[in-house]
Amino acid sequence: MTRFLTLLCCLAASVSVAVAQSADQSEQSQRIDQLVRAKVDQVGQDRRPGIDEYTFCRRVYLDTIGRIPTIDELEMFIEDKDPDKRAGLIRKLLHSKGYQSHWYNYWADLLRVKYVGDKLHHPGNYAQWIKESLRSNKPYDQMAHELINAGGPLYKPGNGATGFYARESMPLDHLANSVKTFLGLSIECAQCHDHPFDIWTQKDFYKLAAFSSKTHLRVDPTANLEKKYAKDRRILKNKSFDEWIVYRESVRVKHAAIHGNGTGFMRLPHDYQYDDGKPHEVMEANVLFGEMPNLNHKVTKAELDTLNHKNAGPPINSRESLADWMVSSDNPLFTKSIVNRLWHQVMGTELVGPLGSLSPDDMGPHPELTEELVAIMKASRYDLKRFLSVLFNSRAYQSRAATLNADGPDYVLDGPIVRRLSAEAIVDSFLSLKTEDPDQYVPTEFQWDGFTHFYEKAQKMNVQDFVDYSIKGPGRAAFQKREEKAAKKRNGDMGPKHLWRVSTYGHVDGSHEVAMLLGKSDRELIDGANKEPNIPQILYLMNGHLEHEIMSQPLAYLHRKLEGITNPDQRMEVIWKAILGRLPKASERALVAHEQDDLIWALLNSNEFRFAK
Amino acid sequence: MNRRKFIYSVGMTGMSLPFLNANSAVTSAPKAKSVINIFLSGGLSQYDSFNLEVEQSVRGNSKIINSNVDGVRVSHYFPTLAQQMDKLLVINSMKSNQGAHPAGIYKMLTSYDPRSSVTHPELGAWISKRLTTEQDSLPNFVSIGKGSAGTAGFFPGQWAALPVKNTSAGIDFVNRNPKVTQSKFAERLGILNTLNADFAQDHSTKETRAYVDTYLGSLKFMNSKDIDAFALENESESIVRLYDKQEFSRSCMLAGRLVERGVRFVKVELGGWDYHDNIYGKLPSNASKLDKGLSSLLNHLTQKGLLESTLVVVSTEFGRKPEVNPNKGRDHHPDGFTCLMAGAGVKAGQVYGTTTKDGQTAAEDVLDVIDFNATIAWRLGIDPNYEEKSASGRPFKMANQGEARRELFA
Repeated sequence: MTRFLTLLCCLAASVSVAVAQSADQSEQSQRIDQLVRAKVDQVGQDRRPGIDEYTFCRRVYLDTIGRIPTIDELEMFIEDKDPDKRAGLIRKLLHSKGYQSHWYNYWADLLRVKYVGDKLHHPGNYAQWIKESLRSNKPYDQMAHELINAGGPLYKPGNGATGFYARESMPLDHLANSVKTFLGLSIECAQCHDHPFDIWTQKDFYKLAAFSSKTHLRVDPTANLEKKYAKDRRILKNKSFDEWIVYRESVRVKHAAIHGNGTGFMRLPHDYQYDDGKPHEVMEANVLFGEMPNLNHKVTKAELDTLNHKNAGPPINSRESLADWMVSSDNPLFTKSIVNRLWHQVMGTELVGPLGSLSPDDMGPHPELTEELVAIMKASRYDLKRFLSVLFNSRAYQSRAATLNADGPDYVLDGPIVRRLSAEAIVDSFLSLKTEDPDQYVPTEFQWDGFTHFYEKAQKMNVQDFVDYSIKGPGRAAFQKREEKAAKKRNGDMGPKHLWRVSTYGHVDGSHEVAMLLGKSDRELIDGANKEPNIPQILYLMNGHLEHEIMSQPLAYLHRKLEGITNPDQRMEVIWKAILGRLPKASERALVAHEQDDLIWALLNSNEFRFAK
Repeated sequence: MNRRKFIYSVGMTGMSLPFLNANSAVTSAPKAKSVINIFLSGGLSQYDSFNLEVEQSVRGNSKIINSNVDGVRVSHYFPTLAQQMDKLLVINSMKSNQGAHPAGIYKMLTSYDPRSSVTHPELGAWISKRLTTEQDSLPNFVSIGKGSAGTAGFFPGQWAALPVKNTSAGIDFVNRNPKVTQSKFAERLGILNTLNADFAQDHSTKETRAYVDTYLGSLKFMNSKDIDAFALENESESIVRLYDKQEFSRSCMLAGRLVERGVRFVKVELGGWDYHDNIYGKLPSNASKLDKGLSSLLNHLTQKGLLESTLVVVSTEFGRKPEVNPNKGRDHHPDGFTCLMAGAGVKAGQVYGTTTKDGQTAAEDVLDVIDFNATIAWRLGIDPNYEEKSASGRPFKMANQGEARRELFA
């Protein structure tokens, strides 16, 4: 960690002190706009017109906090007379509870937060770590560094960054994932063979993997401690299945941890097939590009080559050096990759290239713009809210959404495109119709689950306590349930589940089936979410629970807003504002005669509702 | 071109399929048109079901009973199937490299080890993608059972299984809310069309059009007579009486009904086999479900004349250890487990492969799960080496490196 702090300090010193001030921010928004306008003029395209207040309001709610505004929120913004009200709304939303809810969904997809069956890996602590990082607006480079370098107990509250390693604990797969996640680089092919079209060889891959060699997830106590538990485990195993398994699992909650932090050496695989190395040959850690951090090797490659095939040298904390290299502002891919990602998330287009397969040199279709955004991210010191604020305040963001079609414009980086809302945003937007305060139950502090709760309790438990706990305990299934229940109690009132945002669902709450149907990521792969229609999804939208929850449920907020309104035009206006965030158009006035529930149904099923424009 | 339209799949994306010429998909005259895959998740104990030719200690509490085939003996937990062994091929030499449930299931269903860089399509998705033609009106991959899924992996979502979680409920939300009359529904659709047409004037993209098309496809699907395939209440009395009322039996009946209508791959999941303790207290009721449901299905297919063209596959992710542990259960054992096949010209009434007598490993004619899957593909007339590329351009073969074991068929 010391090295990382040094890095941050150097960075801070090299950047002007006044970066956080909003004058700087608006200057940066303007620089984006200047570059975009120059390019639009250069290619001979029309400048995009700006958007009206209604369109802006809906768009910025969706992009900052992941849901449509309630009708009250919309009206409040429209009626606001402040000439600077757009900037004001952006600021307000970025600092509201909805921000962590929306961006958690994004990060959880990227970081693959998932409950994985019977491997001891429960993602509650990991999820909480991400949420806490968003709440405290932890700088992104720090976030990435903590994830790459995480070690120690999995369920220790606050140590949830370990979930990143635990989620993929096969060392080579883990490395390929990390590189894709933080550098936007695809090197997984080189894991097994030299890639025919790529510059990375299998040897390069192993040299990079050498930084984190001997890092591993161990769910059982380390060998020394294990001896203390072993005797009772044997006794219990022969006595009762339930008692044995509770013993094993509860001991694991205390001891599961990421061990090892890199030896700086790794051996080529037993079947290495190229001429530039021999099977089992020792590889010394080296980076793919850029500056090689200093490692304090205690042995040499030549010495290791004479030793047993399993020997990769003593630990020298080289994983931390890998993290330093990855998140360095000098790394040509680290900043470019996050800028490419955030641009894609906010505008819908690729600034540089595909999110998971960039190359170090690629600057995308508008290199000056990429360069500027990279500079803004660095000047923001990886403060994501600040960077997003610069984007949201640009004219480019606040201009009309383009459609990407065969006959569409050539240059598309001059503003957002028409695109489908994420699954979570659609489901959370239903919430804006069900209640006046859709973010009411977004937690504002660490939430306990059975594992973090028991971990804490277990700190005071010795071997005999674990035995007692297992013997008196209620058995395998109830063990988890009991601790989850205690954790829940500790968290206090979470409100009714049907008023939760999707992000609040944890691994004990079951998957959100409607969100899954709408394409929420199953978190198997990086960026696993999809936005495609399919028949089960459409059947749900036409015939599913929405019928009750929004269309006919008298307690739904929309219905309460409509109560007592007899004028059909007025009624229509409320429905349109609530669902589409705008006033009815003259051409739509003819629809006024339809029944209220039919109008609501049609609007909820419309493309305009599920697409951002 | 057949007048019947391809309702389901066209609706799925609104984009046309890469149509396959039926001939190019075929490498040999197909003997099977459809597959029913009964998947026993959790790990069936081979030594308490169909592999009794081991030392007595390995068989635990299972008693050997004779079947209707000389020399084929099964456990007493399967008395009904014992009278159907002339229709079944028992494979006692299955081998997997995965010993944990999620990875084992993944391997069995996709032929690949799970990796975090790619998800692989299940066999049903490969088969559906390979064999779907413009004439098909039903989806060619249906998955029946609680929590049922059938992943399309790196294929587009349209190739994922259509899930039927529960045979009484049928397909989720396929019926109009009963309070919404036909004319009210039509009125709603009218408003929706107006809104979408208006939106399309300035905001029409491939994605918005895909939604419009999928609504059309969904409406056709709701109104098509194909929905009837999922309505067990419309099944004829002569078939219904073959089955008991248990959900697994009803799932088998539905599978038969779907295959009769040409669906290529139906997966029916029956879970709960993971008996690490008290196996002899817990196994009998689950065994009885399989015993009755599968027997009824075989009768159903025979009666309809479908057994010659339907390959029935009973599979599981791995087997269980030859030792009964101190908790009277059996732990996971991927080396030498048992699967069954019936129909489509399989060598019925026979046993293929063995384990060692101590039950520790597969011995003769070892059949790896990838070869098992390759055999299924081959029997459908598909080259198991058929290759598709993932989104990142990596090539994957349908059955990994698996080779068809043709000798399983007469």
